[in-house]
Amino acid sequence: MLLARVVGNVWGARQAESLQGYRLLEVEPLRAPTGRAPRRSLVVVDRLGAGPGELVLVAHGSRCRDLTLGETVATKEATVAIVDQAEVCGELVGGDA
Amino acid sequence: MILGRVVGTVWATRKDRRLSRSKLLLVRPYFYYNPSHEAEQLVAVDCVDAGVGDDVVVCIGAPARWSLGGVNYPVDAAVLGVVDRCQLSREAFGHRRHGDTAAARPLSFIGGEQPRRLEWIGRAAGAER
Repeated sequence: MLLARVVGNVWGARQAESLQGYRLLEVEPLRAPTGRAPRRSLVVVDRLGAGPGELVLVAHGSRCRDLTLGETVATKEATVAIVDQAEVCGELVGGDA
Repeated sequence: MILGRVVGTVWATRKDRRLSRSKLLLVRPYFYYNPSHEAEQLVAVDCVDAGVGDDVVVCIGAPARWSLGGVNYPVDAAVLGVVDRCQLSREAFGHRRHGDTAAARPLSFIGGEQPRRLEWIGRAAGAER
């Protein structure tokens, strides 16, 4: 799973039928304090009601999708938890929302 | 499976009910391991009572789910072992010497950080010192 911060909502004017009614979120995986990886973001399907600023746990894979969203949803990334607080290298990180 | 260090803990109250009894650990992999998304840290469910600072073995993908006792867990990574000691071949890893190309040594440590209690083995070990 990835620990990621929600950076925004994504709305599609026209989207695949299998995505109708699902909330799409753009999330950015949390980077290590000393890391050098570039900023990246990905779009996940959310059913928990996470909003911008919050930290979420994103699970990858079709099985995780089946279990959380249903087998007919066209995604491989789904949120499985909204994180209250995380300790990263001794520092507490929480949602901004 | 990948080798990494536990760098933190994650707490969540609003989560999938099948995660309700899981302890979540934040793990920083030591090597690049070709993840689906290039991330420096991943969250894994703890199966062996590991703690922050431990070197651990993390299983990624469907087998991680099986190790929790079933297929009905929305989980893609699990901590399956605490590492006491590990031996690595110096030849395979990114100890770059002059004239080395990246292609010749495909593996390198992320951030230069290495596991504790690491022993180097292999031919190059003596030659470098």
